[in-house]
Amino acid sequence: MNDLSEKNNYWNPYVGGALLGVLLFLSFFITGHGLGASGGVNRIAVAIQDLVVPEYVDKSPYLAELAGGDRDPLRHWIVLEVVGVMIGGFASGLLRGRVRLQTYHGPQITPRTRWAFAFAGGMLMGYGARLARGCTSGQALSGGAVMSVGSWAFMFAVFAGGYGLAWFVRRLWQPVA
Amino acid sequence: MAPFDIVATLGVAGSYLVYLGIGCCFGFILESSGFGDSRKLAAQFYFRELRVLKVMFTAIVVAMLLVFWATALGWLDYDDINVNETFLWPGIVGGLIMGVGFILGGYCPGTSLVSAATLKIDGMFFLLGLFVGVFAFGESLGYINEFWNSSHMGRFILPELFGIETGVVVILVVCLAIAMFLGFGWIQRLIYGRGDPE
Amino acid sequence: MSTMLNPRSIGAAFLLAAAAALALHGQPDLEQKWGFMTPEYGARLAYREVYIDPAELLGLINNDNIELVIYDVRDERDWNMFHLVDAERIALQDLPGQRERLRTLSELGVVVIVSNDEILASEAWKRIMALAKPNAYILEGGLNHWLNIYGVMDDEAAGHDKASLVAPDGTLRHPFKLALGARHAAARPDEHRVRQREYTAKVRLLKKVAKAGGCN
Repeated sequence: MNDLSEKNNYWNPYVGGALLGVLLFLSFFITGHGLGASGGVNRIAVAIQDLVVPEYVDKSPYLAELAGGDRDPLRHWIVLEVVGVMIGGFASGLLRGRVRLQTYHGPQITPRTRWAFAFAGGMLMGYGARLARGCTSGQALSGGAVMSVGSWAFMFAVFAGGYGLAWFVRRLWQPVA
Repeated sequence: MAPFDIVATLGVAGSYLVYLGIGCCFGFILESSGFGDSRKLAAQFYFRELRVLKVMFTAIVVAMLLVFWATALGWLDYDDINVNETFLWPGIVGGLIMGVGFILGGYCPGTSLVSAATLKIDGMFFLLGLFVGVFAFGESLGYINEFWNSSHMGRFILPELFGIETGVVVILVVCLAIAMFLGFGWIQRLIYGRGDPE
Repeated sequence: MSTMLNPRSIGAAFLLAAAAALALHGQPDLEQKWGFMTPEYGARLAYREVYIDPAELLGLINNDNIELVIYDVRDERDWNMFHLVDAERIALQDLPGQRERLRTLSELGVVVIVSNDEILASEAWKRIMALAKPNAYILEGGLNHWLNIYGVMDDEAAGHDKASLVAPDGTLRHPFKLALGARHAAARPDEHRVRQREYTAKVRLLKKVAKAGGCN
């Protein structure tokens, strides 16, 4: 499954973008928050840590803020939202017959290689998202829409990082020739 | 005036349902737009597909117009909504790292959730990596805490940065988006001799 | 792009037009914002929910557990005549600069606005509510009332004139021979020496629902 031009009835990106924009607005309107993702992943990670090494969590100021004592890191809106994202993504995939155990990978590499790079990329993303206090959903999209300077700087940095490295790792994604 | 204290009106459980619903819509839109596919996401960085740019900037522009129009009409209180605080350098460095993570991993946190939800193994590995990454951050904080809290500019918004009216900034952002769509499209045609299907 | 009139061009033109219209319309200033807020918040003024008794203010001043901010919005002359020790003088037009401070006030934060009567203070209250919706109150009767109560500590042997509160005109109507500023005894009455007053306590501490940041 490597052909980018496979017949998938994905939405027109302008339409998808407009819908996303409306959703983002509604989120601000109803809840006062934008969208987010990495924060939820972080809280789940902290919750797991709290399960395994609760005393360590209590002693670390950074972790204790989220999960110290009897604080439950999962009792937060962003965790609910992350769960929702998976449900919604699954639903959309199910409707279009795109729920299938497979690996998306560039034609020049094997699935195994792809897994390794996906994991590595995920690690960098996780670290970077905490450092930046957000990810493309929370910072770039939401923060960008409400004009946060830091969010716009972040957004351009993400593009710079991606485009900067793209040529050097083109074997991961580009077709031969 | 919006935003509302939904915990007060709907209770904690009710508010959680609202957030769950918002998340569902978010995930649904992402998957329907093809963002569960790492190849389509990565293609952005080779100008082969401009989905990421188009979805992202269209969403920002539409949301921005709605937010500030609603504020102008007194339906929404912009001062009451969450605007990300600016920590300039942690944000930029974090962004660069995420850019690298994006092109290596093929996803961002939100899209990896969607991908994993549709049983894409690369999405799952990415998600696993995400957990390790946030964990690593917590462990490293002892060394980089000072940097992480540096360049804190508070709630700093573009009109304040440029010293111009909010409305003018909105016009500029719309122009930027259009310019980027046209510009990236031109580069795309230059490299591949064709544009996106739409 | 086959023709100029394709969906993308129309969409782009529409967005540009919406942005241009928005710029022309402008974002609301404090006065307009208060106009939007009046249905919700105007009642608090009308029903006197935010006017607090001088004794309650004295209690707040002596309460170490709260973060008290007292804004004195009178002019410099009156301020030099008499002002509360714990107050800070600020002009009405300088209130917008307090936005960040008010937004980041803790859960234990209380703002009280004082003027000679209530007129100027009420105006200021509307503005800071529009600015940041803090936990804010107004000194009932203003400093004229305050001085009526605390102006003389011991019994009124000194022939002290009480200010008329019947026709509030925003002026400081106590007869000061000298401008004492905060050196007057009533600038910070000793709570152990003043007569206890009965009043309806109106100040409530905010218990903010955790509105944590975006990706926390």
